[in-house]
Amino acid sequence: MSESPFLSTAKLFALGFGGLLVVTLPWWAGNQYQLHLAALICVYWILIAGLNLVIGYTGQLSIGHVGLLAIGAYAFAILVGKFGWHPGLAVAAAGALGGLCGLALGLPSLRLPGFYFAMATMAFALIVNELVLAQVDLTGGGIGLPGPLLRAPFDSPQGFYYLVAALALVVTLLSWNIARRMWGRGLMAIRDNPVTAQAVGVPLFRAKLVVFVFSGVTAGVAGALFASLQSYITPDTFVFEMSLFFFVCIIIGGRGSIVGPFIGVVVLTALPEVVAPLAKLGHFFYGMLLLAVVLMVPEGIGRVFEVVAERLRPRVVRHDEIAPDLPRLARALRSRA
Amino acid sequence: MNAVATAIRVGEASTALACSASVALNAIDISKHFGGINALEHVSLSLRSGEVHGLIGPNGSGKTTMLNLLSGYYQPNSGSIRHRGEELAAATVQRRACIGIARTFQKPRLLPTLSVLDNAILGAWPHSRASFLATALGLPQVGREEKALRAQAIEILHGIGLGHVIHRRANLLDHAEQRFLEIARGLVMRPRFILLDEPAGGLTGNEIDHLANVIGTLRDADIGVLLVEHHTDFVFRICDRVTTLNVGKMIRHGTPAEVRADPEVIRVYLGA
Repeated sequence: MSESPFLSTAKLFALGFGGLLVVTLPWWAGNQYQLHLAALICVYWILIAGLNLVIGYTGQLSIGHVGLLAIGAYAFAILVGKFGWHPGLAVAAAGALGGLCGLALGLPSLRLPGFYFAMATMAFALIVNELVLAQVDLTGGGIGLPGPLLRAPFDSPQGFYYLVAALALVVTLLSWNIARRMWGRGLMAIRDNPVTAQAVGVPLFRAKLVVFVFSGVTAGVAGALFASLQSYITPDTFVFEMSLFFFVCIIIGGRGSIVGPFIGVVVLTALPEVVAPLAKLGHFFYGMLLLAVVLMVPEGIGRVFEVVAERLRPRVVRHDEIAPDLPRLARALRSRA
Repeated sequence: MNAVATAIRVGEASTALACSASVALNAIDISKHFGGINALEHVSLSLRSGEVHGLIGPNGSGKTTMLNLLSGYYQPNSGSIRHRGEELAAATVQRRACIGIARTFQKPRLLPTLSVLDNAILGAWPHSRASFLATALGLPQVGREEKALRAQAIEILHGIGLGHVIHRRANLLDHAEQRFLEIARGLVMRPRFILLDEPAGGLTGNEIDHLANVIGTLRDADIGVLLVEHHTDFVFRICDRVTTLNVGKMIRHGTPAEVRADPEVIRVYLGA
């Protein structure tokens, strides 16, 4: 894209500064709890970056990803705790299982229109929770399971933080690659205008399914890391509100943006801590923020950045006439492969 | 009686197919009902590559139904749609997009938050070979392919006259720009046939002239253009052949001069 050099410099600077913040965080973080929060944000983001492709780009309103997160978490805790697997391998297995469960959930539900799809995913999350409670031998039922530590050097809070930050970066890159290429356009066509998507040849169901499976993999991986980070998991950890939290992060961040939902998850995870003296009002601020965004910037925080960027871009002088250049058109049509 | 008539029509259509050297998209003896209403009855239409074929008729005569049958949004109750020996009557919209049938809509259907360029590149979906995994991993061939498709879309946008708004969000375009962008998106699909649903609707005289020139260029590039249009002067000016429908039946088919002189066409559509 032809951007002004000023903007790309500003972007590079922001990226560099952000990278520096992330790398040095363990030194300037006031205490272990803040480091824990930062790691939690990264773990959430691994799930949300994948879910963002489903909700923000493809427009499929899944509110059941907490179920996939729980599946990843329990798979990790069981494989490591009961079967003695290497934790690294168990994280990968949790991702694969998340992808499989995403496939199993997506196959019947992705053909449903928006609202019914949301209900189906919600039902899935509730079913997972009930299954976890029922399978006492495997999951410990209501008592829960310990979430094992990863192996050195990732068993310390710093080591774990660097690992999840790196994985978050990887998932961000994967989803960014999808978003900016042909796949991203096809997904947004499914979201904004399925009739158009069909007309240009986008296979609606298959494309939705592929993205949903991808979000299942990231949710499974996030679940494994979440179990390790929280050190103990019970069915009560994976309450339905968590699914809504992921959903709200993306809505506040803005559809069709990656930066927006990232800011969403940082703000919404940090917010209850920032207003800690008013702990009882945590939900109040959360609700206020959601209301403010929906009423004032319905396109999300991400859009605010875009608008600012458009303002900064030098105005292009526009002559309002459509003036076809027929020889050029003829050449373009002839040069088709 | 009806069966004989059908057989004759099928015969006509297949001779037309055999005679034409160019590739054709043939709708043969198509009928389509919606509930008790016969939207189309035994209509045949042959769209050849390198011709501009007008489809005219009063409101409710079945023009858009025909277009939706050809592009695959509807499936006929009887009859067949053939292209190079392939039966398409039951094929999906996507399959038709992949074999080179592009279309535009009466009300432009664009992706509002994407740029003009991104809207145009979307049309290259059938030519993108990149899998989801290869794209996510950012493999080099994905980047190369993207670059080539982008370059092609830029050329078509400049050629069709949208070079000045190439990075503008599509929802900020005016009406004529949206119409031209839809055509550009269809052309990026590198189609053999493009079906235009009332492309002149809402355009000024000047813009209609540009549209006529663009359609002429498509014909010269050997693309078959089906023009569903109310604006009869425009149709008679630029079409090679014209088919006229009235309440689901074909009433005349021929050159613009023949159709314009037909007493039945004058009676139901053009007026005395």
